[in-house]
Amino acid sequence: MSERRADYLPEHIRETLIHDPRVAEQDLKVDVQEHRVMLGGNVATPQLRETITDVARELLPGYEIVNETTVVPATEPDGEEPVA
Amino acid sequence: MIRIAAVGDLHYGAGSQDLLRPSLQHLPDRADLLLLAGDLTRCGGTEEIRVLADDLRGLPIPMVAVLGNHDYHSNREDDVRRVLEGVGVKVLEGEAVTLDIDGARVGIAGTKGFGGGFRGAHASDFGEPEMKEFVGHTKMLSDRLERALTDLEADLRIALLHYSPIETTLEGERLEIYPFLGSYLLAQAVDNAGADMILHGHAHHGTEKGRTPAGIPVRNVAQPVIRHAYNVYTLDPRRQVMPAAAGGVT
Repeated sequence: MSERRADYLPEHIRETLIHDPRVAEQDLKVDVQEHRVMLGGNVATPQLRETITDVARELLPGYEIVNETTVVPATEPDGEEPVA
Repeated sequence: MIRIAAVGDLHYGAGSQDLLRPSLQHLPDRADLLLLAGDLTRCGGTEEIRVLADDLRGLPIPMVAVLGNHDYHSNREDDVRRVLEGVGVKVLEGEAVTLDIDGARVGIAGTKGFGGGFRGAHASDFGEPEMKEFVGHTKMLSDRLERALTDLEADLRIALLHYSPIETTLEGERLEIYPFLGSYLLAQAVDNAGADMILHGHAHHGTEKGRTPAGIPVRNVAQPVIRHAYNVYTLDPRRQVMPAAAGGVT
């Protein structure tokens, strides 16, 4: 990739993760400090979580990738809510 | 009582196989119908929606869905719809369906909806063609929703959306993106027509519960919000509902 100002790097990473069809996730938070990229937010599956790390590594080979995303549980609810 | 299971934003794709299936096994004992509030896929690919269709196939309760913005990304929304309908999911866009559940007529009107923002800060269809198109899309879908709900003769009337009709269920999201998460025009449409409940998704960092200005309960069932495979809401079809003009639901 071309050299970018560090100010715009987090948004470049976020856009890449949104448009990479392996990820296509708009819900990710991206922070960059020095040569460390921190990723947060919710993801649907453990596999997607790993893929996000892989895509970030491909984009920024020299950076440390800290993936703090959370896999959302898909368990049954405990009860029900009377609404009306 | 009618038991409605609902979830949105499942974002099925590679690796989602059997994501829901274990939790769906007991669903027929826990709910009378399943509503899906859009963003069922990551990129709107047919291979993605087939994974979800495999999980839903054979579920012996009625299933109704709207699509979300992700389901439109590959411009194959018609194919996504066909795959869902192939396993018995009724997909709504500006339309309604009425189900007979234990003698009660449960009507569901659905639309993806769209953005624009909320009262006092809504985008206007003014200026560039792109702005007119953006807001015009929301207006068109809101008008269709209102007509579909108004024409619905049922004991219970549910509005199923992807985008949010109110701000309350967005709390937790960044204010800057509210205009891309929903529009008050959707709430206005439902308040004009009257309904017993609104379900939506789209706002992953939002809040589950809210109400429209007329008092209609709203639930954000985005899976990252409810953090379960689905939530179950019960509604009494014999409950007396006041006309929207008289202040909405009791």
